[in-house]
Amino acid sequence: MKFNVTGAFGATVLALVGSAALADYPERQIDMIIPYGPGGATDISARAIAEPLSTAVGRPLIMTNRAGAGGAIGSVAVQNAAPDGYKMLFARVGSHTVSPAMKETLPYGLEDFRFVGVYEINPVACAVAANSDIQSMDDLVAKIEAEPGSVRFSSSGVGTLLHIAGAMVLSEFGVENPLEDAVHIPLGGGGEAATAVLNGTATFVCTNTSALANFVANGQLRPLMVTTAEPVEGFDAPTSADLGKPALEQLVGWTGIAGPADLPDDIADAWAGWLGEAVQNDKFRDQMETMGSVIRLMPPEESQEFINNQYEVFRNLVEELDMRVEG
Amino acid sequence: MSFADNVLAGLALVANLESILALAVGICVGVVAGAIPGLSATMAVALTLPFTFALAPLTGILLLLGVYKGGIFGGSIPAILIKTPGTPASSATILDGAPMAAQGKAGKALGMALYASCTADLISNLSLILFAGWLASFALNFGPPEFFTLMVFSLTIIAGVSGESLMKGVLAAILGLFLATIGLDLVYGTDRFVLGEPNLMGGLNFIAVLIGLFAIPEILTMIFLPREAGGQKRELGGNWVTFAEYKSCFRTIVRGSFIGVLLGSIPGIGAAPAAFLSYSEARRNSPNKENFGKGEMEGVAASEAGNNGVAGATLIPLLALGIPGDVITAIIIGAFMIHGLQPGPMMFVSNVDLIYGLLIGLVMSSVILLGVGSVAIRAFRFVADIPRGVLFPGVLILCVYGGYAVNNSVFDVGVMFAMGWVGFMMLRFGIPAAPFLIAFILGPLLENNFRQAMLMSDGSPGILFRGPITWFFWALTLITITTVIRSGLKARAARRKLHGSDFANHRRGTP
Repeated sequence: MKFNVTGAFGATVLALVGSAALADYPERQIDMIIPYGPGGATDISARAIAEPLSTAVGRPLIMTNRAGAGGAIGSVAVQNAAPDGYKMLFARVGSHTVSPAMKETLPYGLEDFRFVGVYEINPVACAVAANSDIQSMDDLVAKIEAEPGSVRFSSSGVGTLLHIAGAMVLSEFGVENPLEDAVHIPLGGGGEAATAVLNGTATFVCTNTSALANFVANGQLRPLMVTTAEPVEGFDAPTSADLGKPALEQLVGWTGIAGPADLPDDIADAWAGWLGEAVQNDKFRDQMETMGSVIRLMPPEESQEFINNQYEVFRNLVEELDMRVEG
Repeated sequence: MSFADNVLAGLALVANLESILALAVGICVGVVAGAIPGLSATMAVALTLPFTFALAPLTGILLLLGVYKGGIFGGSIPAILIKTPGTPASSATILDGAPMAAQGKAGKALGMALYASCTADLISNLSLILFAGWLASFALNFGPPEFFTLMVFSLTIIAGVSGESLMKGVLAAILGLFLATIGLDLVYGTDRFVLGEPNLMGGLNFIAVLIGLFAIPEILTMIFLPREAGGQKRELGGNWVTFAEYKSCFRTIVRGSFIGVLLGSIPGIGAAPAAFLSYSEARRNSPNKENFGKGEMEGVAASEAGNNGVAGATLIPLLALGIPGDVITAIIIGAFMIHGLQPGPMMFVSNVDLIYGLLIGLVMSSVILLGVGSVAIRAFRFVADIPRGVLFPGVLILCVYGGYAVNNSVFDVGVMFAMGWVGFMMLRFGIPAAPFLIAFILGPLLENNFRQAMLMSDGSPGILFRGPITWFFWALTLITITTVIRSGLKARAARRKLHGSDFANHRRGTP
């Protein structure tokens, strides 16, 4: 009996402490995990929003890079964290739609996270070297069909946006076996993937416009298309709408914030509010827009839906082209 | 932009207090760290890296380069004073520096080491400015097949850094290649030796491995074998180098500098072989050959010119090709990447102001090294007096911090200590750490470039011989292997002869 009383008392105390914690959230600093290395697209985006976001939160945000294995190591750290909102993740297209769609052995899935908002969209462009005789997507497809195996595309590794982008674009343009008729060359990183096109190791690359803008501006790479409905500034190339391939509009990069799956509603709502304030910041907008990002904030439900859609699109493509990585 | 614009843009980046301060602080840290045995230049650079995360790219990189250059010089101080090289690069300096100190000419030896270092540093930096631009346009001809042949050649360097036993060197290299395979397979994206541990999916952290391999074994030796970790100190003594003495060694210094530049620009060689080669060339060309090894000032000049000549030149492959020439530049590449910069041909296009800023900063570093070095030589004896029992716990704390800070991961600290035990065992069994490290860095590059080349050619090995660059590196590889085999055979023959005459003497001595 005594045991029961103590137990009940303990439970009550815990419940009180628990609800108090929620009501006062956040009462201390919040750890923000960036699952990629410093200087990458995710890191730059995360650090750009950190300042206005921490003003909105009213507590310091501790930005921590936990890089490795295409974002998996940092993601696992948040997947296993307590759902108290004190450890959150900067989720990215690579770590949260491409990798889960492709990698059988990934220690997490989409269902392990609750997304509180996607705040940034990065259009994707495909480009060839400026001295290439390929002038348009039609030229590219014609070359692949005329000489299968003669066209190569570079990526920053297996299970990255660049990998799936090359396959998806070719598939949409009617190449039946894009990964057999065109050769995928995985390289160590996004910069190397672009350099590979410059030195002839690869014929083309599809990646975020921000990664290509510099080369396009210098006249070293020629863009063939962008995957948005609207033209992208600095990219003198047709949009997916112009080319009649609206399905490619799913092929965009994004950055958002996620917590563990059991994150309570009120914490998710709080984050949605803070993100709404943060994206209004002019300095943040300027910084991101000069790098070619589109600032677009999605509320939690819309974010979840957007990510699930993209995941389904990638998942179907992976099934269709047999791109699944097992073991 | 014209050349003048580039120089001005670079100057604008460098000509501020912050950059000059970073260089000066870096050189001071490097000289101090280099001069403490067991705290090598490599380790000093690795430990400084986390401090650069918050700095501007150029400031951070100049800080690291300062530590690098200071460390290579600093290593000569204990090599001369207590016959213990502060860095592997200064092991050649012992040969004549220590006997000079024993003769009470430590002041002269240290002074000559400093002047030779600064002269070589300047020549090396000027070579970088003159040749790196040319190499950068050439570098765009480097695709996976060219890199693969370059890596094959670089692996032959292991023979040069293996110390006395080539077998032990190869053993270390195989271990390094093996540990480098941990992580995700590049081409298939599958797990390799991950053992279900998500933290291993990204492979072993390079800096954790580095600190573990070099710093921790020193500390373990201190703990378990304190007697072996001892050492004695001598009087600074003697007076300063005269200009006439500098002039008499000038030819040797210039020769050593160019040997350093040549070897430094080829990835994977590093400063120690350059110092030894420069030393052996100086000895071969000197009229008083017999005095080498007994306190010849020219020997000190040659060794120090050789190892400091490497320091600027290792930046040629780094900046032009994006590949590390040695362990230190591998860490410096990391610093570039942390700031979102991709060293390589494109940096000359995308960040040309930074490149010129770096070059101007490097030339300034030679001058700052001269100033800092002069002060350090006079002051250093007192720092070297810090008892190891006080020094090493501090070093250990820095190691743990360095291992943790790279990726904010306790797992990496564990990797560091595990590698520390591996390094300690290697030390006990006389297995050199340098081949391990070269293999650990080059292994993934070798494998990935080979597999990329095979993807390009649809599996035909013909692509590995596709142009003059590949032929060139195949030829160099062949020449190096032939030389290693020939000198090995010669050494065996010499040993046999020696044993033979010993045996004969022994027989003659016995009635």
